[in-house]
Amino acid sequence: MAYVRKDAATLTATEKRRFVNAVLEVKRRGEYDEFVRTHLAYYSSDGERGLRTAHMAPSFLPWHRRFLLDLENALRRVDSSVTLPYWDWTRDRTSRSAPWTDDLMGGNGRSSDHRVTTGPFAHAAGNWPLTVGVTDAEYLTRDLGRRRAPIDLPAKSDLEWALKDPAYDTAPWDSTVTRGFRNKLEGWGTGRGSASWRNHNRVHRWVGGVMLSAASVNDPVFWLHHAFVDLLWSRWQRRHGGARYLPASPPGSGDAQRGRVVARHETLPPWDVTPAELEDVSGIYRYA
Amino acid sequence: MVVSTGGAPVGAGEDGAPGPVPPEPGGGTRRQVIRALRAGVLAAGLAPALAAFRFPRPGPPPTHHAPDGTAFDLSHRGHRIRGVRTAAPGAADEGRWHVTVDGRPLHLMRRADGSWLSMVDHYCSYPTPLAAARAAVDALAPGDRLRDEEAPAHHGTGRRHEHRGGRHGVRA
Repeated sequence: MAYVRKDAATLTATEKRRFVNAVLEVKRRGEYDEFVRTHLAYYSSDGERGLRTAHMAPSFLPWHRRFLLDLENALRRVDSSVTLPYWDWTRDRTSRSAPWTDDLMGGNGRSSDHRVTTGPFAHAAGNWPLTVGVTDAEYLTRDLGRRRAPIDLPAKSDLEWALKDPAYDTAPWDSTVTRGFRNKLEGWGTGRGSASWRNHNRVHRWVGGVMLSAASVNDPVFWLHHAFVDLLWSRWQRRHGGARYLPASPPGSGDAQRGRVVARHETLPPWDVTPAELEDVSGIYRYA
Repeated sequence: MVVSTGGAPVGAGEDGAPGPVPPEPGGGTRRQVIRALRAGVLAAGLAPALAAFRFPRPGPPPTHHAPDGTAFDLSHRGHRIRGVRTAAPGAADEGRWHVTVDGRPLHLMRRADGSWLSMVDHYCSYPTPLAAARAAVDALAPGDRLRDEEAPAHHGTGRRHEHRGGRHGVRA
């Protein structure tokens, strides 16, 4: 029986409490920091050598789908009633709306040092020390909306621009492609400044602090953001008649992307799973 | 579905699953480059640029760019940004930079379009290493500093044991 992932804005007080407690327990057990390290390790850039799996690659969506399932399984070992909520950033668009409440993610960082001081992940509560990071700060930081030079979350029109593209991805399967649902959703734009931060990338920037860094998994909103990204993949599939993951087969010999992207039936590191096996998860969970 | 319910997703390379190929632009890690620099194995063309930036100066430095674009040294929003291009002349990849903010290494990654992103600002890229470093300073929380470490290396290798060793610009 598939379980249900719910909109964070619709969770009951009990659902929020149980989700938060499970996250804190996974952190306390030392499992959470392994997720931070894994995301760091698999974020390879396309201007350098090697296989790309998590970002700037067609497997952006199945990689994060599996990553979320691993975290969700860790949570459900703590409390089997828990599922990952998602943050619909097309609806909840301010620093005081869901999920930034004291009973879920906590609020914005304070202006003096961007330290989050409210909610269950506030440093003073003692349950959320950052042990893997790119800076010295051992506390969670956020700068919602980037106070110094405000930006908005992606608009519905930005999302529609991605969702209406009938192709999953196109060659050369990297951050430079201007067509295909995957990169339009991942959000690597061309050009400069604000216009080049789209959809998924723009949300990381809007949250700011550690969510903007290579250690973004340190902010638990990472999971709520990516659950919504994952939902959008399902929504795109339905809209386009079950359109499939691309590339269907590995780039040919002589193609610069050979060995650098994961094709539909190839193994997706670090797991023994293929993108094809992750395209339909209706037997595991569904979105409400 | 073959999605397992196993533990935390660690251990690629330990169980024989293929991990990402280590990206090593120019044929060596940044760590090797820094080590080479420290050992005094300076390519002849680099020596003048490095000489200009070797000694810390008291107070805010003047904005300073090497005339050939191989180095910069400036103050931005109260932080000192320094960068030196460390690729030897003739190397296959001339785009390897060693950038520091307040003396601590800022790791940069290269996008296929030639632009740069940093560990601090990881979901956007910039046309030059200096622009990426300025953006990293802008994104750094007030009072926060980059993680200090002895020798930086590329973090995107997928080599977990190195991550646990904490040598990727990451507290691990």
